[in-house]
Amino acid sequence: MAINLRTPQAETRDQRLGTITQWDGNAETLARDSAFTYGCGRDCGPGGRRLCELSTPYSQASMCAEQIAVTNATIIRDTVVIQHAPIGCAASQSFTSRYSRDLAARRGWKPEDPKSICTNLSERDMVFGGVERLADVIKEAFERHSPRAIFVATSCATGVIGDDVDGTARQLEEEIGIPVVPLHCEGFKSRHWSSGWDVIEHGILRRLVPDRRHEKRDDLLNVIHLGGPDVFSPLVNPLGLTVNLVMGGNSLERLADLSTAAATVTMCFVLSYLATGLEQEYGVPEIRAPLPYGLDATDAWLRDIARVTRREHLVEAVIASERARIAPELERLRKALAGKKGFVAAGAAFAHGLIADLRELGVTVDDAFSFHHDPSTDSRDPQQDSLGALVQTSGDIENFTVSPDQHFQAHAALKRAKPDFVICRHTGAIAVLAGRMGIPVLPIFYSNDGLGYEGLLTIGRGILRVLPRRRFYEDVAAHSRFPYQTSWLEETNPYALVGEDAA
Amino acid sequence: MNLQSRLDDSASPGFSASAGPIEQVRYGCALGALASVIAIEGAIPITHCGPGCAQKQFHALSGVSGYQGGEFHVPSTNIGNKEVIFGGADRLDELIGSTLKVMEAELYVVQSGCVPGLVGDDVGNVVQGWQRRDVPIVFAETLGYRGTNFTGHETVVRAILDQYVATQPGPAPETRKGLVNVWSLLPYQNPFWRGDLAEIRRILEGIGLTVNILFGPASEGLAEWRAIPSAELNIVLSPWLGLSIARRLQEVYGQPVLHEPAIPIGARATAAFLRKVGEAVGADPERVERFIGREERSYYHYLRDFAHFYAGCTSQYRLPSEINIVSESAYALALAKFFVGDLGLNPGVIVLTENPPESERAAIAQAFRDLAPGVDGAPAFEPDGFRARKLITRKARVGEYPILFGSTWEAAAAGAIGAPLVEISYPATDEVVLARSYVGYRGALQLLERTYTTVVRQSTEENPETAFS
Repeated sequence: MAINLRTPQAETRDQRLGTITQWDGNAETLARDSAFTYGCGRDCGPGGRRLCELSTPYSQASMCAEQIAVTNATIIRDTVVIQHAPIGCAASQSFTSRYSRDLAARRGWKPEDPKSICTNLSERDMVFGGVERLADVIKEAFERHSPRAIFVATSCATGVIGDDVDGTARQLEEEIGIPVVPLHCEGFKSRHWSSGWDVIEHGILRRLVPDRRHEKRDDLLNVIHLGGPDVFSPLVNPLGLTVNLVMGGNSLERLADLSTAAATVTMCFVLSYLATGLEQEYGVPEIRAPLPYGLDATDAWLRDIARVTRREHLVEAVIASERARIAPELERLRKALAGKKGFVAAGAAFAHGLIADLRELGVTVDDAFSFHHDPSTDSRDPQQDSLGALVQTSGDIENFTVSPDQHFQAHAALKRAKPDFVICRHTGAIAVLAGRMGIPVLPIFYSNDGLGYEGLLTIGRGILRVLPRRRFYEDVAAHSRFPYQTSWLEETNPYALVGEDAA
Repeated sequence: MNLQSRLDDSASPGFSASAGPIEQVRYGCALGALASVIAIEGAIPITHCGPGCAQKQFHALSGVSGYQGGEFHVPSTNIGNKEVIFGGADRLDELIGSTLKVMEAELYVVQSGCVPGLVGDDVGNVVQGWQRRDVPIVFAETLGYRGTNFTGHETVVRAILDQYVATQPGPAPETRKGLVNVWSLLPYQNPFWRGDLAEIRRILEGIGLTVNILFGPASEGLAEWRAIPSAELNIVLSPWLGLSIARRLQEVYGQPVLHEPAIPIGARATAAFLRKVGEAVGADPERVERFIGREERSYYHYLRDFAHFYAGCTSQYRLPSEINIVSESAYALALAKFFVGDLGLNPGVIVLTENPPESERAAIAQAFRDLAPGVDGAPAFEPDGFRARKLITRKARVGEYPILFGSTWEAAAAGAIGAPLVEISYPATDEVVLARSYVGYRGALQLLERTYTTVVRQSTEENPETAFS
């Protein structure tokens, strides 16, 4: 099934990939039952089965696609993001007040405020529609900041009242002469916030990536990442490749170069919509080797990049020198972490990567918490089955919970796992929960931390830094209580509230 | 006493959304008042809204506001396609039922967001069903497009007063001598609310009162709320927030209202405030004066010694001469009075950011008159950061050393006018706040410490040579 760029609206990942958000069992079963095992999409043949999603009567506040789409649009430089929404959706602007400056500092840019404007819809707009106000704000945004592109993000409210955002965007685009890109990201439309990545990548692909195939550069490698410092250049520069780092903060020039590149890698398959789209539209090959977490996977990843970009003659030397470089420190870390038990909480492929890292570091991982699960990727290539690859290379994960960052379920999962530490993506529910349960925690804010050879050292050192904090967390845990019923505080099955087990 | 629930009348009167777009947001939506529920020990919000709404509000207000943290594991229906198309009342009913099985609280506050308002879920009816089964649960309609977290706070408080406090079983409450209710800073929105409420409680207890401070670690939680009808006075310590609550309580319980727009900072304002309260409740004047005297001895001891710095370092560190503020009106007014009235600064640009109800604006502006005898402040009401910045940077300044009190958003404006920036309003990302307070006696001293530490550091960073001269 191809990515459909004809419509301004990206199909949700629930529809495209069969993404689920609630499941519990062992990783082997989940991998087996995911579509990859039979490689031809869903419901067609022996091996897998349709993944049965659990449903809990109790649920807690989670995240929405709008936040992902808007945050990642906001940190694209020289653009303005308009949140066509009541004021509450714009609360996320304040997260970027700091994030964009941190990012600028880490990437060597001049720090400046992110440009996002909320149309600030009121009850009157709910009754009469908000498109006139939107038109005014697009003009105002153009006058205020002279951007080179404007994004217009929808909200639950504008989705329900049916504002014609596409029509307004088209009309204003003609008037002001720069791209006005709608981002259809109503929170209620997808069960999982990661659909927000598809929305922004869809908008980029449709409107901000010109066809420059004729300017092909055989040394340019697109790298799609979640955000943070550039850890990729040190890895691939020795192959004579230049990194075109996109998403997680970038410039319009970087996006405009996308179609000229020799290949695209994604540091997390959750973001692979753009990579698959680039291959489909512009023939830029997508590197599909498993992600570079752990030594062998990183070797294989580099070899695949070298193969696609025809640099095989350089790659073995790079691998050997990198392995040799980190060997002594890796040895020290393995010794220090021997016998430790880790718990991983992150989103799908990212979680699989962190588990691989921990196992490479000699940490035992029998428990993991994935914020969603994609049974497939847009390329439909079983090579991108990161969970299957993980189970195959380093063994099963006995307790693999899929849950959209649900605090109560994570509590049960941690009670069951009793880990020595937690490593997690997002600083949301899990990090605080672990700390409050007396467990040291390493939250990964800049998500490139665990990648490649150096990533093993970064993660290992990070864990060693937080382990002594058990003293603090245990003290707090002993003197505070979560407002759960005692029965739930003792529960070790995250899905105990579900009558039947679907696994 | 039994109060009729007034579910259809919970929106705060007089609110009108800002007509214009907002850049650099400085408040949340009405649903953001879930932070006020979380600020009440023993209470839990149950949210009926989209999947990201509740988290976005709380993480903005608690995280990007001095990294306050707070108990966030809020039940939410996380509305999806199904609830939009078929309605979400059944899903909410299911969530409430399961919440009661999983969570443990003395009070549940159901809050609805934009979607139920638009698709027409009868949330009140669902909640009434549980109320009839004697579950301590109330409903506050906090539709995001209908208000801010300020007006939402009043809606939530009204819901708790009408549907929980007023429906407590037992005989009608009797007035308790010396018991007062305090309605002041908006929890979480102001990064220093916890320490400030603790200091306000301390000074009122100092003159012999018993205090329902109602929110935060200095409060006894819902026991205080249940005692609200027994108070002999409602003190509204803010320019406008809480006024409608106090008026409501006056209506229902006949409790008088003492409205003091400026939260007192420093000995002068605090003593005046305590005398006014003492008089209103007929407190023993000797006790009031004894407390004020004891506090002032200590306060002025510190100020006497601070005068060494304030006089001696005036030119070395270019001590500020003009105060500029971008903040919600409560802190803007309190800080302006202290720095102009007590420290001798001139008022600069004062921007009030919380979009207060039109009906209260004239009175708010009036409160900025006579910051010092004959010295008036002229506040502008402006929730949009882009325009706020223009107001700050376009002011002509001759010979003044400006200082700017504001939020993280003000970094650029502060840089443009060469002013040190002290973060006092949301969003505040460069402050880690636990119990720090900037009001009353003790808070004033901490405010001076933070302010002039910032001034010295900035002066030294910008002019490294002054450090060696």
